[in-house]
Amino acid sequence: MWSKWFVRSLITHLVLHTLVPLCPANQQDLGCRAVLSGRVLDDHDKEGLSYAALSIPAIGRSILADAEGVYRMEGLCNGRYRIVVTHLGCAPVERTVEIEGNTVFDFKLEHHAEQLRELEVARQRPDENVGQAHAQLDKKAMERSAGRSLAEMLATIPGVNMLQSGPTIGKPVIHGLSGNRVLTLNQGIRQEDQQWGTEHAPNLDPFTTDKVTVVKGAASVQYGSDALGGVVITEPLELPREEGISGELRGIGMSNGRGGGGNGLLQGGVKGVRGLGWRLQGSGKYLGDSNAPEYVLSNTGLREAGASASVGYRDHRWNVGAYYSWFARELGILRASHIGNLTDLNNAIESGTPWYVADFTYAIEAPRQDVEHHLVKAEAGYAVNERGRIVLTYGYQADDRQEYDIRRGGRTDRPAIDLYLTTHTADAVLKHWVGKHMHGKAGVSGVYQENINVPGTGIRPLIPNYRKQSGGVFVLEHFPLSPKVEMEGGGRVETTLLDIAKYTSNDVLITPQHEFINSALTVGANWSVKDSVRFRFNVGTAYRPPHVSELYSEGLHHGAAAIERGDPELSSERSLKGTIDLEALWSKGRFRTDITLYGNRIAGYIYLRPDGVELTIRGAFPVFQYVATEAFLYGADVTLQWKLTQRASLRNRTSLVRGRDLSQNEWLFQTPGDRTENALVFELPHIGEWRSAEVSATSRIVFMQSRIPVGLDFAEPPGTYHLLGLSASATRPLGSGELLIGLQVSNLLNTTYRDYMDRFRYYADARGADLTVWIRYAFGKY
Amino acid sequence: MKTNLKYWTYAFLVVTAITACKKDEDPITPAPTVNEEEVITTMVLAFAGQFGAADKELRFTDADGDGGGAPVYDLDTLQAASSYSVSILLLNAATSPVDTISNEVLAEGVDHQFFFQPTGANMIVTYSDADANGDPIGLSTTMATGAASVGTLKVTLRHEPDKSGAGVSGGDITNAGGETDIEVEFPLVIE
Repeated sequence: MWSKWFVRSLITHLVLHTLVPLCPANQQDLGCRAVLSGRVLDDHDKEGLSYAALSIPAIGRSILADAEGVYRMEGLCNGRYRIVVTHLGCAPVERTVEIEGNTVFDFKLEHHAEQLRELEVARQRPDENVGQAHAQLDKKAMERSAGRSLAEMLATIPGVNMLQSGPTIGKPVIHGLSGNRVLTLNQGIRQEDQQWGTEHAPNLDPFTTDKVTVVKGAASVQYGSDALGGVVITEPLELPREEGISGELRGIGMSNGRGGGGNGLLQGGVKGVRGLGWRLQGSGKYLGDSNAPEYVLSNTGLREAGASASVGYRDHRWNVGAYYSWFARELGILRASHIGNLTDLNNAIESGTPWYVADFTYAIEAPRQDVEHHLVKAEAGYAVNERGRIVLTYGYQADDRQEYDIRRGGRTDRPAIDLYLTTHTADAVLKHWVGKHMHGKAGVSGVYQENINVPGTGIRPLIPNYRKQSGGVFVLEHFPLSPKVEMEGGGRVETTLLDIAKYTSNDVLITPQHEFINSALTVGANWSVKDSVRFRFNVGTAYRPPHVSELYSEGLHHGAAAIERGDPELSSERSLKGTIDLEALWSKGRFRTDITLYGNRIAGYIYLRPDGVELTIRGAFPVFQYVATEAFLYGADVTLQWKLTQRASLRNRTSLVRGRDLSQNEWLFQTPGDRTENALVFELPHIGEWRSAEVSATSRIVFMQSRIPVGLDFAEPPGTYHLLGLSASATRPLGSGELLIGLQVSNLLNTTYRDYMDRFRYYADARGADLTVWIRYAFGKY
Repeated sequence: MKTNLKYWTYAFLVVTAITACKKDEDPITPAPTVNEEEVITTMVLAFAGQFGAADKELRFTDADGDGGGAPVYDLDTLQAASSYSVSILLLNAATSPVDTISNEVLAEGVDHQFFFQPTGANMIVTYSDADANGDPIGLSTTMATGAASVGTLKVTLRHEPDKSGAGVSGGDITNAGGETDIEVEFPLVIE
């Protein structure tokens, strides 16, 4: 009995997840008499699969098969139907079935292979992120924002903002936290690419990704250190398993920056070896100076290039895979943001216009950044038996960063910062069942990292050389509490050893060592009140050992016109975060609400506090000291959707964040302002060959951030701004594939504005109107 | 079992080999310290007295560059109603031999200009040098003192100023733009 409702409860989640629930139409009443029946079978051993869920989305019908996998759906009209079958631990299967009178059809699902196999971290299985609030950018959303940076894409999600340094550098901010407080998992590997710097964007190619998930809770148990604000998970589609070539070609053109980009992808299976698949991908992007409404943002060009290759094999027991990606980016930093001292900064703020504006150019001059990132991943999984699977993952990353500054004496061509960061990550995870109902994973993970300042800059390193070694053990289990409630609980212990090697200002070599031991716990629940209402609760902890820059910075931060001082005595940040997420459908599915409330208390929150001024040959500079405080961040993310008619819908997305410094009884610096975005979406009927045509208009208001700490900033926060946008897209079949074209206008009215979360708001306005056009041709099954 | 043992032995050997290599030199040990090449530790304003006035010198020293120890001023009293031919010397005393930064400024004269702003002190400053375009650099100037007074002299070096901006070649910093490389305010007594 127990197992029955357990399975049913999970299936309920699955159905809610994958289907459009609550379709009002019910064809039973229309006098149709056809019956579809048959069995849902395990493709492997041809045994019936118990309690699989079958549904016909087009007419909103769904039923459960019985314990033997036998199903029967009555009262259907004759015709062709797309039927979706889901089962615990299986990938959903879609089949189109011709129903005429009494039709018998058997569905075959691959059960063993899917049950415990797991390439990705988050997926549609309900046992991932059971109680964690999370949001996804699916393939469609990714297509629409093609050509944008990862941070820009994510900033469409409620609760996610962007911390910018001009038009070329953007970092995601989740629930008010960014940089080392947001963890990025690229292809399942912790992304390690100098995220301590506010002017360091994540070095990954959005074209390698088909889906991005943002986990909004404190999630150190599952993902390790740094997951205080949340986790960004990028995933590709699964590799093909059957022979046949498929792929895509994509081109993007952007008016602002007068450039564009493109992506090519090819994938296939291997004839005669079912389960073996491969994929090759390459992309590029080329942009010149961006434009603000009234002037050129000089030296904001950008070039990107990326390539990746992957190969993988999987069958009922095994999965092995290898992946390599290379990504290179060269970007210009707004010339006018390069200042010498506080006088220059005050002049820039007072004048209100950039002091350096030149004609549009594609050329990139100093100050500029040149980065390259390599990722190698190898993975193997083996199902030991029906109840356990071991997955081993190894990742190697090399991050090569050069930053060029404007220098005297012909030194501009020599990097001012030259860092080489190598990281090895290794995980061993056992996915298992305990008894009949509990399942989860337990594992060990390790990180070995070296950061080297490449000699030859002629400048004292901003951050010292260091070696970081960490190792942890974790366990995370899921168990149903009742048919409608699934619980999740787990813990992790991790130890980090940090070795520093640096020269003091008196040229003495010092090699201090730090050790941090941290632990995290999580408890979550997923409560499906009914099919249309679901709650998620999570209380979790996360930790972050202080970064070397917070411990050992000493010197002038040129971009910030400030002297920054580290504190070697700092200890780890510890976050306790609670999230409540309510997803619900009302009025027969015409209204959808998704509301997340959260509170995040961080002990030992590290930030820069002003600490007097210091006189230098360039005048007096404010001194900022890294200090720890008690911080509390709280807020709400809201998505409301209202289906006005069959073809028109209205959508609102709102993000509110508040950040308090509890020790100082002050607001936290650099917390995003309130944001609300309304969109009106029209789905158009077929026009000739064109399908899925969609037109939408968006209005985005970002309110002035008035909750700021006193005396910490150089200028008043910029005012409220309102931007309009338009977008349209449609697809049509072409040859054996599908053609997608779309266009998008952002900042339609060419509004002049500055954003509080843009560090270059002191120097220049934000980008003006931008017209993006994209075209995509997909062929095969891609 | 035998092969297992063999593998483990190999693994052990490889691991010890790797760790043994590492002990030779820790890969994170930084290269021997480099002196910052562009740091200006010292600025000297050498006042050569004209028509019988004694030579004077104003000096600003920040031996360890930005941050660290506080900078030191070495001051002099200028003579009232006198004329001085002033030359500026910039040094990086952190390197050995001492690097004369003012030569770099002279070589890139087109991209640099000094500005002189007296406050309270009665003096008039006129440029007496020129870059390749005929615009002033300010490494050489003539300073004429007026009546006895007490105030300050602010010396600013701008990188990539707009020398064609209104008043800029005459010494007015208002429209100069560019980035500040030096900004030192000397206390000044004229008597």
